Amino acid sequence: MKKRIFLSNFYYCDSKLYKSLALFFIILLFSNNLFSQSVENGEQLYKANCTSCHAIDKKLIGPALAGVNDKYTQEWLVKWIKNSAEMIADGDPQAIAIWEEYNKSPMTSFLHLSDEEIIDILSYIEEAPSLIQVDSSSSTDLAVSEVNESSSNYFQLVIFLVLILFVAGLWKVKNMLKIAAKEQPKDIVDNLVSYISFYLEKTYLVVATIILLAVGGANAAWNIMTGIGVYQEYAPEQPIKFSHKLHAGENGVDCNYCHSSARHSKHSGIPSANVCMNCHTYINEGPSGTAEIQKIYDAVGFDPKKGQYIEGYEEKPIKWVRIHNLPDLAYFNHSQHVVAGGLECQDCHGPVEEMEVLYQYSELTMGWCINCHRETEVQTADNDYYEEMHKKFLENHPDQKFTVEEIGGLECGKCHY
Amino acid sequence: MSTTKKYWKGLAELTNDPEIEALKHNEFAEKLPIDEFLGDDKNLVKTSTSRRDFLKFLGFSTAAATLAACETPVNKSIPYVIKPEEITPGVSNWYASSYYDGNDFSNVLVKTREGRPIFIKGNELANSAPNSRVIASVLSLYDSNRLKSPMKNGIATNWETIDDEIIEKLSKTDKDIVLLTNSIISPTTQKIINNFNVKYKSKHIQYDTISYNGMLEANKLNFGIRALPTYHLDKADVIVSFGADFLNSWLNVDFEREYVSNRNPKNGFMSRHFQIEANLSLTGSNADERIPASPSEQLKLLENLHNAIKGNSAPDIRIKKLFNELKEASGRSLVIGGQNDINTQLIINSINNLLGNYGKTLDINNPCYLKKGDDNELVNLISDMKNNKVGALIISGLNPSYSLPVDLEFNKALKKVPITISTSLSMDETSSNVMYVCPDRHNLESWGDANVFHNSYALIQPTISPLFDSRQFQDSLLKWSNSSENYADYLKDFWESKVSWNKSLHDGVFYFNQGDAKVLDFQKQKIYSNSLNSDLELTLYQSTALGDGSQANNPWLQELPDPVTRACWDNYLTISLKTAQKLGLSNWNVSNGALNGDMVNLKIGNIEINNVPVLIQPGQANGTLGLAYGYGRKNAGKAGNGIGVNAFVFGFENTYQNVSIQKVEGEHEFASVQLHHTMMGRDMVKEANLDDYIKNPKAGNPDVTFETHIGTQLATDITLYKEHDYESGHFWNLSIDLTSCIGCGSCIIACHAENNVPVVGKEEIRKSRDMHWLRIDRYYSSDMTEEKADELDLGAISKYKMMEQPSENPEVSFHPVMCQHCNNAPCENVCPVAATSHSSEGLNHMAYNRCVGTRYCANNCPYKVRRFNWFQYSDNDQFDYNMNNDLGKMVLNPDVTVRSRGVMEKCSMCIQSIQKIKLDAKREGRKITHKEANDGCACSASCPTGAMVFGDVNDETHLVNKLKKDERRYYLLEEINTAPSVFYQTKIRNKKS
Repeated sequence: MKKRIFLSNFYYCDSKLYKSLALFFIILLFSNNLFSQSVENGEQLYKANCTSCHAIDKKLIGPALAGVNDKYTQEWLVKWIKNSAEMIADGDPQAIAIWEEYNKSPMTSFLHLSDEEIIDILSYIEEAPSLIQVDSSSSTDLAVSEVNESSSNYFQLVIFLVLILFVAGLWKVKNMLKIAAKEQPKDIVDNLVSYISFYLEKTYLVVATIILLAVGGANAAWNIMTGIGVYQEYAPEQPIKFSHKLHAGENGVDCNYCHSSARHSKHSGIPSANVCMNCHTYINEGPSGTAEIQKIYDAVGFDPKKGQYIEGYEEKPIKWVRIHNLPDLAYFNHSQHVVAGGLECQDCHGPVEEMEVLYQYSELTMGWCINCHRETEVQTADNDYYEEMHKKFLENHPDQKFTVEEIGGLECGKCHY
Repeated sequence: MSTTKKYWKGLAELTNDPEIEALKHNEFAEKLPIDEFLGDDKNLVKTSTSRRDFLKFLGFSTAAATLAACETPVNKSIPYVIKPEEITPGVSNWYASSYYDGNDFSNVLVKTREGRPIFIKGNELANSAPNSRVIASVLSLYDSNRLKSPMKNGIATNWETIDDEIIEKLSKTDKDIVLLTNSIISPTTQKIINNFNVKYKSKHIQYDTISYNGMLEANKLNFGIRALPTYHLDKADVIVSFGADFLNSWLNVDFEREYVSNRNPKNGFMSRHFQIEANLSLTGSNADERIPASPSEQLKLLENLHNAIKGNSAPDIRIKKLFNELKEASGRSLVIGGQNDINTQLIINSINNLLGNYGKTLDINNPCYLKKGDDNELVNLISDMKNNKVGALIISGLNPSYSLPVDLEFNKALKKVPITISTSLSMDETSSNVMYVCPDRHNLESWGDANVFHNSYALIQPTISPLFDSRQFQDSLLKWSNSSENYADYLKDFWESKVSWNKSLHDGVFYFNQGDAKVLDFQKQKIYSNSLNSDLELTLYQSTALGDGSQANNPWLQELPDPVTRACWDNYLTISLKTAQKLGLSNWNVSNGALNGDMVNLKIGNIEINNVPVLIQPGQANGTLGLAYGYGRKNAGKAGNGIGVNAFVFGFENTYQNVSIQKVEGEHEFASVQLHHTMMGRDMVKEANLDDYIKNPKAGNPDVTFETHIGTQLATDITLYKEHDYESGHFWNLSIDLTSCIGCGSCIIACHAENNVPVVGKEEIRKSRDMHWLRIDRYYSSDMTEEKADELDLGAISKYKMMEQPSENPEVSFHPVMCQHCNNAPCENVCPVAATSHSSEGLNHMAYNRCVGTRYCANNCPYKVRRFNWFQYSDNDQFDYNMNNDLGKMVLNPDVTVRSRGVMEKCSMCIQSIQKIKLDAKREGRKITHKEANDGCACSASCPTGAMVFGDVNDETHLVNKLKKDERRYYLLEEINTAPSVFYQTKIRNKKS
C-alpha cells in the first residue's frame, strides 16, 4: 500500500529541516528565558479577556494594541481598562477622544482584574509584536516540507547512481585482482550470459521462478483489484486552504462545534458558512494572511473593513470537495457511532488535529467496517435500551464479549436498504 | 364452521377457464420475455450487428467500465451558506397541517427532509385517517405539469402585468362579477371573499364537483340549516346504508376509525352493517348483509322502510330483517343514503327522526360544513353567462370545463364572459379556456384554516417554499381588493387574538367556541312518492384511486388497483354476469393472463359516450351499471390524459334510469392485477361468524396439525430448519386484523411513498410486472359451503354446481399480503449469492447491491411477494413518470435506495424506519415505545382502522405481543411452516340467520 506522503517527508528530512527545527527550538529556548513570569501571565489574561475585541497589530472592534504603552501612561491605562465609562463621564479628554473615535461604543469594564494583572497584560502587549514575528517564522515549516518532497526524490536517485558506481567499481577491483592473480579478466556481458545459460539448464530453478512470478503477480493483481474504489489517503485540494491542524489542533476547537449534526444525524455535516462567521467576524487574518478567510466573506457577503454584512448580497455557497465517499448503497449514520457507540472522531478519521490538509485516514471498505463491528463492544452502561438484551446475552453466553456483531451489526440489511 | 368455504379469485377462475388453470401452475404469469430483450424480429433481421461485434462491444464496455472505476470521482459537497435553524441535514421534521382540495379533507402530519415534504400521515390529535388520495397528494406537489408562472391567453407573463390588467378590467366592467369556487371551509378566506364582494359588488357561488345538493337542501328544509350532520358511527349498533360508500368516498370524512371501533369482536359485540346498493362498493364489500338493488329499487325499499317504521305498511321481505333490527336499535341506529336527490334525503332524515337517532348517532346541532355547493345557483350562473349578464368570472379550486354536465354548455357560456380568470395549478381543461390563469399554490405550499365541524378548526401551513412563481388564491383576492396585506399575516392576525397561535399551528387543530349553530327542530316535510323504473340503470361512483379526478395526473393513484375490481389505469362499466350474458357482453383472458373485454356505447337521453369498456363484476345488481368519476381527463398531464371516459357529462345526479348500451366492435385491454400471483385456490382468509367466535375464540382457526410417527404435531413444530434465537433482542412482527381491514388501499400508497416504489404503467401491469410491495388480495366467496351441502344432503354434483353458482352477491374478503418475513425462509436458501438473508430481529433482508437477478427467490416464494426490476424505472423515457424528472424525484425518500434494473426487491418492513427508531432509543437510553414502533412501518402508520399493528413481540408493552397470543392469530400457509413474522387475525363477520 501507498505510504502517507505527508509523514514520509520526515523519514527523508534533510539538513534544511534539521536546521529550521534547530532554529525553532533555539528560539523557543531563548524566548523562554527571555520572558518573565509576568509576561506569561499577561499573555494568558490577554487571550482570555481581550482577543474578542482587540488584536496586537490591527484594528478589530477596538484599536490595535501595539504601542499602546507608548501612547498612554500606565496609570491611565489601568484606570481605563478597569472602567472606561467612568473616565468618559468624568470628562477625561483622552478618554472622550477615543470614545468618539469608536462611534461612542464603550469598552467593556474589567473591574475583576487587579492592577497587577492589568500591568501584566500591558507588559505582554509590549513584548507581543516580537513574539508574533517569531511565530510566523516557525510556521513556515509547510514550505520547508514542500521543498523536501522534491529533494527526497533527488536523494533516492543519487543513492541509486552511487550504488551502480559502487557495483561497477567492485567489478573493476575484481578484474584488477584477477589480473594481479594472472587470471583472464572477464567481460561483464560474457559473465551475465554464462550465468543465464547456467540458470536455464536447471529446470527446478525455472519452475521455482515461474511459481514465484505467478504468486507475486497474483498478489499484485489482488492488491490492485481490491484497491479499486478504495481512496485511502485521498486528500483533494479544497476551495479554501482550511487547516484542521490550526483549528482543531492548535486552537483546540471541538469537532462538534463545526460538525454539530454528527450527534443528531447520519451526516456529520460540513459547517455552513455562518458557523465559520461565529469566529471569523473578528478573526480576519490567519497564518497565511487574509486571502483564505476572505473566501468565507465572499460566500456570506461580509465586509471585514466595516465589520458588517453587505445588504442584498447574493450568497455564494462554498463548494467543498467531498473526501469520504461512501457508496450510496451503504447507509452510515454518524450519530449512531458518536452518541450510541461513544466513538471518538479520531477512531475513524485519524489524527485530524494534526492534518494540515485533511485526508481519508481509513479504508472505508466493508471489511474495515465489519472488523470493527466484530471487535467493538456495545456501550451498554447506563443505557436502558440495551439492558434487557445484554442481560439475556450474558445468560446464554457468560464468557463472551457483547460486541456489535451480537446485536446484528454484521447483517446485510442493517446497512444496505 | 366455514373452514371449507371456497374462494375464487375471479369469474374466470370460477368458471374453470382452462387458461387460468394452466396459469396456476406457473410461477410467472407469462413466459420470460427473452424475445423482448432482443427486440422484435423485424429489427433483429435488419440489424448488422453480428455475434462477433456483440462480443467486441462487450469487451470494450467491460474494459471501459473497469478503467472508469479506477478513477477517483470528485464529488462536491455544498453546505448551506446560512443554515436554517430547524433543519439538520439527514433528520426529518414533521409539521401538522391539513389537506383540502375541495373534495377530500384530512388533518395530516407532513414529513419533510431538508425542506421537501416526502410523506403524509394522519394527525393523532385529530384522530384523522387520510385516504390514499390525501397520502398521494405529496406526489402531486411535484407534478411537472404544474404552471411555472401566471398565464395570459396561454402565454407566460408576470404578476405585475396580470394584476394591473385584472384590477383595471374588474373596476371597469358594469356587468356582474362572479367568484365561482369549491366549498369554502376557511373562515378567513370567506372573510376575504366577502370584502372582495363588497369592493366589486360581486357574487360568490360555491359548488362541489361531487354534488351533495340533495342532502344539503333536505337538511335546510328539515332543520333550517344548509349543512351536513356529524355522524357517530361508533355509537351506531345498526348501520343501514342506501348506496352511500362511506368507507371510501361518501362525504370524504374519515368514517373508518369510528366504523371499526364498534366492530371489535373482542368486545363480544359488533355493529350490524346493511348495505343496499347497485355497484359492489368498498363499503358494500365490508357489510354484514348486502342487498343488491338498482337505484329505483333502492328508492322503493327506502319508501317501504319509511312506511313500515311509521307503521303504515308491512316491510318488504328483502328488508324485513333489516327493519326488525333497526326498530330494536332505535336511537342506536343510523340510516344514510348516497343519492344526490332531495326527496330521497328527506325520507332518510324522516326515518332517522322516527328512530330517534338525531342527537345520538347523528348530530345536526354540531353541523359539518365540508360541503356547501348549490347546484341551482350554478345553473342560474351559467344561464346568466349565456345571456351576457356576467362581466367577469373568477374560478378557483374547480375544473368546471371538465366536471360539469355537457347539457349546461359551460364552455360555450364561458366564451361569452369578457374577463375569465382561473386559479388552477396546471393548464387543465378550464385553464385552457380562460383569459388569465393565476396559478394557486399546492396545499402543501399554502397557508390556510378550515372549519369542518362546528367549533372545531384546523390550520394549514406550508411545508415547502413555493416551487414555482405561483400565488395563493387568497393573496390574489387581497391584491385585487387593493389590500397590501399578505394572506399569511392576515390569517395570523385573524386567529392570534382568539386562540394561542403557536400552539394551534403546532397541533394543527384547535377548538374555538363560536356559539351554538342555528338549527331548528325537525320540520316535517311533504315527501313525494317517486315510482321510477327502467331496464338498465347507472350508478356513478368515486373510485378509491381518483375520487373526483383532480389528481388524475398522479401516477401513484393511477396505478393503485381498485380494491374491488383490482383494475388500474382505467374506468369501465361494471355489469353483473347475468346482465352481461343477456346483452352478449363478456370478458376474457388473453394468452398472458391479462384481461380483455367488450366495449359499448353508453347513452342516456341524448348524451352518448363511445367505446366504454365493460367489466363483469360479481355483486353488481342485475340490470345496473356502474361507472367511476375522475377519468377521461384531456388536460390533466402526461399520466392522466386520455385514461378512461368522463362520467361527469350526464348531470349532477349520481343515479340514472333509462340507460341504453350498444355493443361496439373492438376489445378493451384492462390492466387488472386480479389474476396475478394465483394462490392455487387455497384458503387464505380464515373466517368465522361472531356468534361462533363468542362460543369459541378459535372458531374458524383450528390448529394446523400433521400425523407423524410421534403422534399428532402442530405444523409450526415440524421443521428441518435450525431454530433462530428470537428471545433476546428485538423480534419485529406485523399483525393484520382481517376483521378491521376494509381494503381501502391507503397502505399501498403509503408504502409507495416511503419505499420509492416505482410506477410501471398500464402495459407492464398487464404483463404481471407490477411493483407494489404490498397488495390487497380480494376474494369473493360463494354462499354454499361443504357443511351446508351436508345439511341439505346434496349430492356431489349438485353441491359443486351450487358452489359454482355465479357469485351474484358474494361475501368479500380483503387480504393484505406483503413479504411475510419468514423465519424459515424458502427464498434465502435458494439465493446463489446470499443477497437475501435473515436478521436476528426476525426480518428477511434484501441487499440490492448483492443481487444478480437470478429470480430464484421469487420462484421459491410461496407468497409471491417478490418484485423484479425488469427495467430501470428511473431516468428512463419509457417510464415517463415521477422518477424520470428532477421535480418528481424530489418525493423520493433519501434513506431508501432507488433500485436499478435486474435486481429483486420486496417489502423490507420499512427497515430504514426500524433502524431510525432503534437509534433514537439508543441515543436517548430508553426502550422503544409501542407508538413509535407502530408508526415505523408506513403501512401500519397509515392504516385508517388500525388493522395493521407493528412492533416488537419481545416487548410486553407493544400491542403485537398480545396480538401474537390471540386465539384469532394464524399464519398464511401455516401448513408449510415458514414461520412468518407477519401474522393475521381471523376475519369475524356479524351475520345473522
